[in-house]
Amino acid sequence: MKSLPILSLVPTFRFGIVAASAAACMLVTSILAKPKAAVAPPPPAPLNGGAEYVGEAVCIACHAPQNKQFTHTIHANAFRINPRNEKEKLSCEACHGPGSNHLKDPANPANRVSLVGFTKTWGTPVAQQTAMCLSCHEGGQHTFWQGSVHATNNLSCSDCHNPMAKISATGLLKKQSINETCYTCHQQQRTEFSKRSHMPLPEGKLSCVDCHNPHGSTSKTLLKMDSVNETCYSCHTEKRGPFLWEHAPVKDNCMSCHNAHGSNHEKLLQVARPFLCQQCHANAAGHQAVLFNASQTIGGGGTPNSRMLGRSCQNCHSQIHGSNHPSGARFQR
Amino acid sequence: MKTKSPLTAPVAVALAGLTWCPFVAASPLADTAVGTGTVLGNGMSASARAARPLDPEWPVAKRTPTGRMFDLPFAMPKAEELGKLASGWEYSGQIEVGYIGGDADERNAQYRTYQDTDNGGQLNTFSLEMRKPDSGHYVEVTGGGAGRHDQYYGLQFGRYNDWKVKVFYSETPHVFTDRYKSLWTGIGTANLVLLPGLTPGGTASIPADNASVAAAAASVAPSTLSLVRKKGGVRVDANLSASWKAYASYSMEKRTGARPFGAVWGNAPGTAPIEIAEPIDYVTHDIFAGVTHTDPLNVFNLRLSASIFENKINTLTFQEPYRIAPAPGVTTVPAAGAYTQGRFDLAPANQAYNARAEYTRKLPDFYKGYFTAVVSAGKWRQDDNLIPYTTVSGLSLANVTVLPGGSWDSTGALSRRSTDATVDTRLVDLTLSLNPTSDLNLKLKARYHDTQNTSDPYLAVNPNAVYVDADAATAGAQTRGLTYNGVTGVWGRLLNDGSGQNLLFGANANAAGNIPIKSKLYGSEQFRFGPSAEYRLNSVSTVNASVERESISRENRQRDRTWEDKAKVGYVNRGLGDSSLRVSYEAARRRGSTYVSSYFDDSFSAALVPMPTTAGANVTSWAVRMNTQMRALDIADRDQHVVNVRLDTILRPNLDAGFSGQWREAKYPNSTYGRTAQNQRSANVDLNYQPSPRQTIYGFYSYQIGENKQATLGTANAALTIGQVTALGTVTPANAIEIGAGPGGPLFPLLNLWTGDSTDRNHVFGVGLRQDIGKAGLNLDYTYSTGRTRIAYEYTVGGAINAATAPAAGNRMPDLATDARYLDASFRYPLTARITARFLYRYQTETIRDWHYQNLDALPVVPAANGAAGLPTVVALDGGRYNYRVNWYGVMLQLKL
Repeated sequence: MKSLPILSLVPTFRFGIVAASAAACMLVTSILAKPKAAVAPPPPAPLNGGAEYVGEAVCIACHAPQNKQFTHTIHANAFRINPRNEKEKLSCEACHGPGSNHLKDPANPANRVSLVGFTKTWGTPVAQQTAMCLSCHEGGQHTFWQGSVHATNNLSCSDCHNPMAKISATGLLKKQSINETCYTCHQQQRTEFSKRSHMPLPEGKLSCVDCHNPHGSTSKTLLKMDSVNETCYSCHTEKRGPFLWEHAPVKDNCMSCHNAHGSNHEKLLQVARPFLCQQCHANAAGHQAVLFNASQTIGGGGTPNSRMLGRSCQNCHSQIHGSNHPSGARFQR
Repeated sequence: MKTKSPLTAPVAVALAGLTWCPFVAASPLADTAVGTGTVLGNGMSASARAARPLDPEWPVAKRTPTGRMFDLPFAMPKAEELGKLASGWEYSGQIEVGYIGGDADERNAQYRTYQDTDNGGQLNTFSLEMRKPDSGHYVEVTGGGAGRHDQYYGLQFGRYNDWKVKVFYSETPHVFTDRYKSLWTGIGTANLVLLPGLTPGGTASIPADNASVAAAAASVAPSTLSLVRKKGGVRVDANLSASWKAYASYSMEKRTGARPFGAVWGNAPGTAPIEIAEPIDYVTHDIFAGVTHTDPLNVFNLRLSASIFENKINTLTFQEPYRIAPAPGVTTVPAAGAYTQGRFDLAPANQAYNARAEYTRKLPDFYKGYFTAVVSAGKWRQDDNLIPYTTVSGLSLANVTVLPGGSWDSTGALSRRSTDATVDTRLVDLTLSLNPTSDLNLKLKARYHDTQNTSDPYLAVNPNAVYVDADAATAGAQTRGLTYNGVTGVWGRLLNDGSGQNLLFGANANAAGNIPIKSKLYGSEQFRFGPSAEYRLNSVSTVNASVERESISRENRQRDRTWEDKAKVGYVNRGLGDSSLRVSYEAARRRGSTYVSSYFDDSFSAALVPMPTTAGANVTSWAVRMNTQMRALDIADRDQHVVNVRLDTILRPNLDAGFSGQWREAKYPNSTYGRTAQNQRSANVDLNYQPSPRQTIYGFYSYQIGENKQATLGTANAALTIGQVTALGTVTPANAIEIGAGPGGPLFPLLNLWTGDSTDRNHVFGVGLRQDIGKAGLNLDYTYSTGRTRIAYEYTVGGAINAATAPAAGNRMPDLATDARYLDASFRYPLTARITARFLYRYQTETIRDWHYQNLDALPVVPAANGAAGLPTVVALDGGRYNYRVNWYGVMLQLKL
C-alpha cells in the first residue's frame, strides 16, 4: 500500500504532536497577533427591527407558564444566578432578542419579525435561529455543526431541543429522551432497534449519542470517533487487538458483517450464518463453498451439519474477531 | 407561601440516596463529542418517565421549525413549592417505591437480554435537585433499579456557568442464553472441569462417550450464560475563562460472566465441535482530558485519551469428554487419550492512546468563510505473552526432530514469545467554507485517515526443529530446516492443541503450497476529497449538491486500492404549505485496482516451496484458492443508489404526521460470485395528536425489506496435475493457478453454481395514549414488531446438491421468524398532594423460530452420519432463544420531597 509521501515519513505520535502544536501555534498567533479591533466580533445586525431590551420581568408578565418551566432549566439558572456576561443577564432576551417592538403588537402575526422565535409558526429563518444558539454554544461538541448532514438539511437547533421547558431529563430535548428525539426523523432506526437482536437502546442502557454526535463530526454518519471500528471499540475493547492473526474485513470495518442498530439475526449480523460467511469464503478447499441447506438442520430430513446448527461457522471458528494463539490462523483457538 | 420544615443540608443530601423520581436520567458524560455512557436508565425508566404528570398550563401544539409538535413538559414545582433549607438551599425531588408481582422474574434470555426485572419490592427511580441561588451551587442526584443488574446512579454537583463534577455508576446485563447445559464445573473461570461421570480425554468407546455426554447434558439443569457490565466514572468540567474550558474524565468498566463459545479438534475442517463457555473478566479504563477555546474568530479543541483493556483471564482450559485421535503424522504419549484438555488464548490486554486537535478559523473578510482543520493520531498496542501450541507433553511429528528447547508444548516452538503488535492511526480532516453570495455556500473537504499495522508478521515456524530426510533431492538421511524471512526451522502450525497439524513436509512428507506460514497484517489508508454547494432558493427552500471521491488503499487484500465516486443532490423546503419536505439522492460507484485472488501467496508455503513442474505432479495445493471471479464484498465493484424522502406535515392544528422512506440499492457488477446485490427499502409514518394538555395520542407504522443476494461456485473434490487436460486448457506450471481457480475448471465446475437470496421483512406498529382523568392519569404504550427472513436458494441437481439430497433440501430454508408484542400501562392516582399511587401492568411476549437451534435443546449431542459410532457432528449445549410470554403488575408509590 502506498502512503501519502509526507505522512508516511512521519511517525504517528510525532505527527500528532507536530500537528497539534501547529494548530495550537495557529491559534495563539491568531489570538495574539490580531489587533483587538479585529478580534472583536463583527457588529451584529440590529435585531428585531432595532428594538430595545425591556427586561425579563416584562416578558414574564405575559408568559408566566413559560417562566414556570424555564425556571427549572439550566439556561435560567445560569443566566439568573451566575451570568457570565451582559448578554446572559438579559435572560429571555438573550435568545429572543430585544422585545420592545414585540410589545407594540404582540398578538399580530405580522409583527413576528419583532422577535426571534424558534417555532414553525413564528417563522424566524433557521439560519438566524441557529446563529442565536451558536452565539453561546459555538465550539466544543458543536464545532462541526456547519457542514454536517443535519445542517445541510436545514435543521434548526429547535428541531431537537426546547430550551424553554423540562421535556427531557437532560439536554433540553423536544422529546422525553435522546432516542425518542432521534426517532422523530430516524424512524427507520426505530424499526431496526425493535428487531430480534439490537443494541440496548429500548432498554434504556444506551443512547444514539453514545455513537453519534448529532451536532456534527468529521465522519459523514456523525460518528464520534474517527472510524466505525474505533466507535465500536469504545465498548468492545477486547476486539481492538491488534491480534497475532487477524481477519481482514473485521479489521477493515465491523459493518462488513454487522448491522449497527438491529437485525433479524443473532449478534446483529447482516445475514444468517453460514450464508453470511459464504459471501466471502468460497475457497476450493473443503467446506466453504458448500450449499448448506434445509436438509441439514435437525429434522431436516438429511444429515445434520454443524454449519447449520447453533453458532454455525463459529462452532469451530470461535475467535472470528482475531486470535492470539499461535495456531489461530483459522481462528479456532 | 407554604414553608416546609427546614432540613439541614447533610440530611437532605442523605435523603438523596433514598429519594426517587421516575423521570430523571442525568447523563454521566452528556457530551456528544466525547466518550460513551451518555444516558442513565433501564427498562423501567421509560414507563416511569412517561407516567409523570405533565404541565397542564403549557400551551399545546407548539411546533419545531420543521413542524413537529414538541412533547409537553413535565409538571414542575412552582417556586413556592420548593423545599427550602436554612442554609439557603432549595430542593425538590421524588422517589418511587413499590412492589411488582407476576412474571417479572421470568428467566427467558430473550426477555432478559438487557434488563433485570424482578418480582418483589422495588426502589424504582429517585431524584433530587438542589440549588443555592445566592452562590449558584447545585446538586443533582438520580438513580434507579436499586439492587438489580440494570441499576444506575448519577450525581452531579457544581456551580452554574463555572464548574461541575459528574459521578455515575451503571450496570448493564447481557444474557446470552438460559438454556446452556454445562458439562463442566468452573463456568466463568479459567478452568472447565468435567462433571463426574465424564472422562477427560474420553474412553476407548465412542458410543459410550456419546452416551455419557448425552446423559450428562440431559441430567444437568439448564443454566444461564450472561455477563454484567459495571461501569462507573467521574468527569470534571471547568470554565477557565470566558473563552477557555477544560474537562477530564475517568471511567472504569468491569465485565464479568461467561458466554457460549466453540471448540473444535483435529485437522481442517475439524472434528467433534463442542460448545464450551468462555469466561469474561474484563476491565477497561478510559481516560479523557481536553481543553476547548472559543472566541469570535477561533475555535480550538484539544483532546487526549487513553483506553486500557485488561483481561483477568488470559487462557481458558477445558477438559474434553471425547477421545480425540491425533491427526496423521502426529504421535502422542500415550498414543490414545492424550487430549484430555484443550486451551484457548483469550482476548489479550491492549492499550489505545489518541491525541486530537481541532481548529476552526472564521474568515469574515474572505467570502464570510471559515476553515477547519482536524488532526488526530493514535496508537493501539498489544504485547501479550504467547502460549505454546499444546499442553500435551511428548508430542512428536513424523519426519520432524525437535531440537533442545523446541518441544511443541513450550514457547520454544514459536518464532517469538509475545505478540508485539502495534497499529498506528492518523487523521487529517480539512474543510474550507465560503459564501460568495448571501444565498450560496461552497465547501471543499478533504480527509485522510490511516490505520497502519506496523507490527512484524508472525512467522508460523518452529525454529528449534528440523526435518528428517525431507530433501528428496539429497541422497541419504540428513536433517535440515527451511529458511524463509531469515528464519530456519519447521514451517506451519500445530492445530487445535496438537490434535491436528498443518505443517510443511514433516508430518505429511509431501510438499504443499497452501499452508499458512506467516500472518497477514491489515491496514488501510483512506483519502476523501470533494466539493459541495448549497444554494438558497428562497427563504424556506434550499438545494444542495456534492461530489466526492473516496480512495482506500489496503494492505494485504485482493485489491491494493478501491475508489468510490459519489454524487449527491438534495432539496429542502420548509415552507411547502404546512409541510416540510426533504429529498436527497445519492449515486455511488466503487471500482478498484486489479483483483488478485492469490494475494496471500507470500504468506503460504508456496512462498517456500515452488510448484512442481514435472508432468503428472499434483499441484492442487498451489492452485487451490478462491475462484478468480469471486469478490470479497467489502472491496468489490459496487454501484449504489440511495433515495431518501421525508415529509413532515401539519394535518390539523393539533395533529401532525411524518412520512419517510428510503430506497437503497447496491449491485456488485463484477461479482459473478460472492455478494451480488444488497437492497433495502423502508417506509414509515408517524402521527401525533395533541388535543389538550390532558390528552395526547401517537401512532406509528414502519415497514422494511432488505435483500442480500449471493452466488457461489461449489468446489469439486478433484485434483489438478501438470499436463492434465481441462476445459480451460492443459495444465502447465504457468497456468495452473489460473485453471485451478478458474470457474469451469476441474476444481470449480460450473454445474456446482448455487445462488442464495436472503430477504428480511419487518413490520413495526406502535400506538400510545396519555389521558388525564380528573387528577388521575392513564398511560398506554403498545408496540407490535414482526420480522421474517426467507432464505431461498437455487442450484442444479447433481451439482451443488445431489439428487438424493434435493428433495429434503428443497429450495429454501424454513423462515426465521420473530414476533414481539409489548404493552406497558400505568394508571396514576394522587392520594395526597405529595403521594401518588401508580399501578403498572406490563405484557410482553415474543415468539422465535430459528432453524439454527431447532430441537437442539432436546438433542444437544448431534450424532454423526454413522450414528453413535462416530464422534458427534456437534455438541451444541446452548438450546438457543425461545418463546416467552410475561404478565406482571406493580403498585408504586411516588413521593414528592
